[in-house]
Amino acid sequence: MNGIAMNGPAITWMTGSLSRLGLGGLYVRPALAVFVFAVLLLFAPSPALAGSCCGGGGGAALVLPKTGDWMMDLSFDMEVYDGYWNRDGKILPDPPGSDLRQYRLNLGYGKRIADRWQISAVLPMVRNENFYENSRTTSTGPGDTTLTLLYETFDVVTCVWSVETLEDLIPAAYLGLGLTLPTGVSPFDEASRSFDVTGRGFYRLDASASVEKTIWPWTVAMAYSYGIHFERPVNREYGHWVEPYNKKLGDRRSFSLSGGYTYFMESDDTITLTVSYSDLWEGVAVIDGEPDPATGLRKRSVSAVVAFANMDKSFMTKLGYSRAVKQDDWGENFPITDILTAGVTYVF
Amino acid sequence: MYSKSLAPLLAFLLLAGCGVTDDLLPSGENKQGGAVTLGPGDRAPEFTMPDIWGQPHTLAGLLAEKRGVVLYFAMWCPICDSHMQSILHGPLQNHPDVEFIIVDYVSGTVEGGKRAAMSGGYAQSPFIILVDERQKALNAYGATMGTTVVIGQDYGIRMIEDYKSQIQLEEALAGL
Repeated sequence: MNGIAMNGPAITWMTGSLSRLGLGGLYVRPALAVFVFAVLLLFAPSPALAGSCCGGGGGAALVLPKTGDWMMDLSFDMEVYDGYWNRDGKILPDPPGSDLRQYRLNLGYGKRIADRWQISAVLPMVRNENFYENSRTTSTGPGDTTLTLLYETFDVVTCVWSVETLEDLIPAAYLGLGLTLPTGVSPFDEASRSFDVTGRGFYRLDASASVEKTIWPWTVAMAYSYGIHFERPVNREYGHWVEPYNKKLGDRRSFSLSGGYTYFMESDDTITLTVSYSDLWEGVAVIDGEPDPATGLRKRSVSAVVAFANMDKSFMTKLGYSRAVKQDDWGENFPITDILTAGVTYVF
Repeated sequence: MYSKSLAPLLAFLLLAGCGVTDDLLPSGENKQGGAVTLGPGDRAPEFTMPDIWGQPHTLAGLLAEKRGVVLYFAMWCPICDSHMQSILHGPLQNHPDVEFIIVDYVSGTVEGGKRAAMSGGYAQSPFIILVDERQKALNAYGATMGTTVVIGQDYGIRMIEDYKSQIQLEEALAGL
């Protein structure tokens, strides 16, 4: 199981017949794939940012503040597997004595290309560690790369200290297009074992919309995204050449709701606490036009991120924890994981 | 200044380029003929594995009693569970003359395999659950999670690939 990173900061796992993600990113362990099980995934939706347009926000997504020209971001995720939901939403344990983990080092870059437009890229390096009673495997490789184009609907920072006029209630809204490139190692590529999977093997195009409002010291935000995978031919599975067929992973939707509180220190540096709820769905894959009922997933999780930002919001460091809600029916066909994230961001 | 800020993007693209894989330009070319791993038509490797109750099983012994054998390599993950449920409620019901085997290649011991099968709800299922203690069968078949192998009485492999659907497995079973 290896996960496969499914998306942004999280998952890994799952490919059609993935393993235990990752998905993720899909994907994306145990083996989820490991899986890529996952996966995957690359895999959980990013929590929305608290006050990202103002800088110094607390989330994990890569959003350049309105005043920034470009930024670099480096973050480290540790994802630990703790059982999984089966297709009926029932929680089942991982094999006795197993210890399944995925580590991700994510390098991010953001650049403002016009007053209201910014682009970003995130390239993860993934390490899977799958320890069972009779085997210990580790593998390292690049994950799937994500490119994003973001449009801001506002010209000036919308964070306010108090509401004096209706205009003060206008939120910051973003519209985005994201393209996931299958640069990771997938079951259809060089991987001969599910443990080695670091990507899902499919291109995906995501459309996203997010809205946030900060009335210091409080911030609320919502984000929604819808992604479609592109069909591809497959002629190899885990090192076995197979009779070629076409496969398309299911459409993916994610929703998150977050709230944040910012504490201003005497130096005007800030500490922001953001808590989020995220819901991720993926439909069933299609093989040669026929649905693959073993695929599809759902995962609901909660997370908390503490971020420190300096006075001019050029430097930020953050520490986050995401937990899949370990209750029956809070997920389907997906690993239950804890994700610990630490990162630094510098805005130029 | 502009070129300076774009330098990281170029470095990024170079880094991403290092990860260029077949997935970026996927191929639909049939390369089964040049396979270096086991494929349809090859002879299935013999094995000896205990089941979760401690009883040893060999491929020869299983084939002596049934018209064929299906091996499903499992690691007790969500996809495995979906696949096993699909097999349980379709092909397994339709082919009483075929032995359906779950190969647990991660539990390591008979006791571990029993606990995993019990917690997963499969201990009392119609599957025979074999424990691949040292992953000898996994390696001999070049298998991984989800690999499904259909073997005829002549030891000939009819199918060896990732489980996809009941239809795919039924088609392979029809060739026994």
